[in-house]
Amino acid sequence: MKFDEKVISYFESCTSPVDKEGYLSKKGEIKTSYHKRWCVLKGNLLFYKDRPADRDLTGVIVLEGCTVQLCESEEQFAFSLVWSDPGLRTYKFAAEDQASQESWIKALLSANHNYLTLLVMDLEKKYRDALVEFPNEPTNPFTMPNFNTAEAFQGAQSSAVPSFPAVPSFPAAGVAAGAGLSSNQMLQAPTLSSRSANKRSPKLWPKRSANVVPVNTPAAAVGEWLGVCLGTKNEFIQLHEDFGKEVKELIADWSKRGRGEEAAGVGNLIDFG
Amino acid sequence: MRFNEKELVSLSRQPSEMAAELGMRGPKKGDVVKKRLVKLVVNFLFYFRTDEEEPIGALLLEQCRVEREDSQSFSIAFLDEAERKYLFECDSEEQCGEWVDSIVKASYEFMRKNLIFYRTEIHRLTGKDPLEQYGISDETRFQVNNGLQLTPRDTSSL
Repeated sequence: MKFDEKVISYFESCTSPVDKEGYLSKKGEIKTSYHKRWCVLKGNLLFYKDRPADRDLTGVIVLEGCTVQLCESEEQFAFSLVWSDPGLRTYKFAAEDQASQESWIKALLSANHNYLTLLVMDLEKKYRDALVEFPNEPTNPFTMPNFNTAEAFQGAQSSAVPSFPAVPSFPAAGVAAGAGLSSNQMLQAPTLSSRSANKRSPKLWPKRSANVVPVNTPAAAVGEWLGVCLGTKNEFIQLHEDFGKEVKELIADWSKRGRGEEAAGVGNLIDFG
Repeated sequence: MRFNEKELVSLSRQPSEMAAELGMRGPKKGDVVKKRLVKLVVNFLFYFRTDEEEPIGALLLEQCRVEREDSQSFSIAFLDEAERKYLFECDSEEQCGEWVDSIVKASYEFMRKNLIFYRTEIHRLTGKDPLEQYGISDETRFQVNNGLQLTPRDTSSL
């Protein structure tokens, strides 16, 4: 299967946010000894290379469809990425200490696309509730870079789904300029004329990141998000609780195995209280 | 560079709402439009020969530019390089719009920006940080200034 290495490498090295990075020992794929690797987690991709400054990536693991588990190992602070399909491999890692192990496990468990999709849906709903609850607050022209009335939303509105322009305190798209909101594309979802509206805003990424997708502001109606979401969990809060249970179980299991003197630093973890 | 190909192939088999036969032209000079089954799964675009089980390739939909080329076709470009620009031909304007929309929204970076936007706005309106409830307020990936990287990255202490 074709997989463009240059594009993947670029994604690893570009200035987009890193979710976690650090050294991990990784069990070899052919030989079974552990090698120290510099690992970089961005989104649902785990990159690994010999040293932080290396340009060449040794490899990348796409973190979809796997769970993170503690595992038996001659190494301490070990954990593994496990895919459920038979025939799919298990990746074994070992962290430097307990804190690092827990931190990596947490990060990897929530790295999958579905987690973030559900979290965003959840926040979107809270945002809409907040708008209803506080209708007189002026909108904040949130200066996210790369505002662009991408044509992305042109064909994507369904009139049956309530969307932001319908909220009463906001001016309709056509008169947005008068309210000093012309730079806030958030409100102008569906009714833009096609090409002319797609001019890129001067407030762009520097040249290096000019390849970023022309991002529209998050005016997506709930219906659109649901169309994109492939998850089996209906609500983020459910996913989050399940996720927390998984982490708690992992830590309890780890403690039972008698490794380490202290009970796991539960205080570091998500508080469900 | 190694990648977990089998797991990616497995991912490509997941059900997806965005899967259709489109005309697809590869990025190299001399590439012609061919009919391909194109499927969007999470932030990957897989493409198959019709009726084949295993995808020919996978495109990672991060750091790419998605643009409408004309009423029924769109392109995805990587690294601002002409040799890495893929063209897709749809059957209708509506279908084309749906694809562009879905691809844009599938990107992890796009979702992250949305999340930061909502978080900031909810906090501004209600005084509450919605991520506190989940205990994830401190995660680097949800911080407001995350994308700017003004200092050299050093998140190894996380």
